[in-house]
Amino acid sequence: MMSGRKLIASAAPLLVCLGLLGIWQIGALVLNTDSFPTALDALRAVPSILGDKESLVNILASLRRMAIGFGVGLAVSIPLGLMMGRSRAVASFFNPLLMITYPVPKAALMPIIMLWLGVGDIAKTLVIFLGVSLPVVFHSFQGAKAVEEKMLWSGAAMGLSALQRMIRIVLPSALPEILTGCRTGLVLALITMITSEMIARQSGAGNILFNALDMGQYDTVFAMIIIVGAMGIGLDAAFEQLRKRLVRWSEPRFDLPLSFS
Amino acid sequence: MIEIDGVSQVFQTSGRQSHLALSNISLTVDDGAFVSILGPSGCGKSTLLYIVGGFVTPSQGVARMKGKAITGPGPDRGPVFQEFALFPWKSVLGNVMYGPRQQGVKPAEAEAQSRRLIEMVGLKGFEDFYPKELSGGMKQRVALARTLAYHPAVLLMDEPFGALDAHTRTRLQNDLLNIWERDRKTVLFVTHSVEEAVFLSDKVIVMTRSPGRIKEVVDIDLPRPRRRAELLLDPHYQKYVVDIEGMIDDTSEDELHP
Repeated sequence: MMSGRKLIASAAPLLVCLGLLGIWQIGALVLNTDSFPTALDALRAVPSILGDKESLVNILASLRRMAIGFGVGLAVSIPLGLMMGRSRAVASFFNPLLMITYPVPKAALMPIIMLWLGVGDIAKTLVIFLGVSLPVVFHSFQGAKAVEEKMLWSGAAMGLSALQRMIRIVLPSALPEILTGCRTGLVLALITMITSEMIARQSGAGNILFNALDMGQYDTVFAMIIIVGAMGIGLDAAFEQLRKRLVRWSEPRFDLPLSFS
Repeated sequence: MIEIDGVSQVFQTSGRQSHLALSNISLTVDDGAFVSILGPSGCGKSTLLYIVGGFVTPSQGVARMKGKAITGPGPDRGPVFQEFALFPWKSVLGNVMYGPRQQGVKPAEAEAQSRRLIEMVGLKGFEDFYPKELSGGMKQRVALARTLAYHPAVLLMDEPFGALDAHTRTRLQNDLLNIWERDRKTVLFVTHSVEEAVFLSDKVIVMTRSPGRIKEVVDIDLPRPRRRAELLLDPHYQKYVVDIEGMIDDTSEDELHP
């Protein structure tokens, strides 16, 4: 049985969403301009987008690029970050590179990348990859740096080689931090996915959005914003579930540790 | 037998200055002996232990284990650290099984051995708990079991009870002695508590502070098995404690009047 307070806490996100839609609805009715459709109009346009085969193909193509960019991003960034965290030489080689690229909006690189790679999947996936990589490298780096030296010594005494220590001690003990980076990376993947399609207008969810904007179909524009937002919430929630399962050990089962010598 | 032969350790501190942490240490530890290294904080006693563990390479001199120079860590020398250093993503059982599994012991056998060890250190019923869920004393019991599990010839204990409250510390000292009585492993035990060193050891090595040198080696000739209640009343025990405390006092006076 959930208590009243718990029930309110778990329903809070839903209530906030409904509240925002309510404010939107009232605001749009008050302003009454073409470029700001009401929440109901926008919501009504959602099923027609999702029901349209071409739109669906576009959205799925976007998600596929995002999944590839995210996956390759993790495969490269996690090992790189861990090595930076454990080796001063690797860190001092890659750190300046990261410092330079961190503040650059990855979408700003899009025109150059398009020039080299064209407007196809590769360019867009590359931008997503870049967007994902930085937070994941950074958090993996921090996580690996914080690994207790004595824990590695304990492993070494048991006979673990340097590579085994990296995979079987540094990786799991940095995992909570790595997953924090991955969560940020996932949201950034979604953002760079849309912005890349905004610049390289050829296919994808971003393309639908900006084409509709060009043609003055504002309810479609807002419906796409709702769809992208919902995808973001859904992906983030799913990732959070996965994260909780993977790092269950880092959260205590009881409020206080057992007292027993 | 462990031989430490002319070991010195220099650390580079900030500003390119070098700090001599250990100066020309030579000592031997016999098989099956319980030897404590006693000294004020900053005397390099832990560093000496890390050198024997193979975690730190000495700037000068050599440490040998059974006549062979120590070049790195190995399962013949099992460390137990003040910080516990348990693997937090593994349960108590998972931690204790880690060493034997790494040594190639079959899972079922490793588990059976580990469960016996967990019972021996008094943690039966906590096999499936994660380290985060345990108190400091329990964590150190797990750490001891984890190290015993891969059968090191030597236990290297680095102020293992230093982070524990007085009551827990006493219980763990008693339990450690009981466990040690069963197979009499060689133990090298770093501490800054005189009572702890005298209560546990066959031999106490008293060190001076910066640079760390051996000031005195005291053989503790008290009968075993030792019982705390009897020992505290034993004038021999009391004399050892007072004498050794005096040696440490002298050390700090040397520093005041160089």
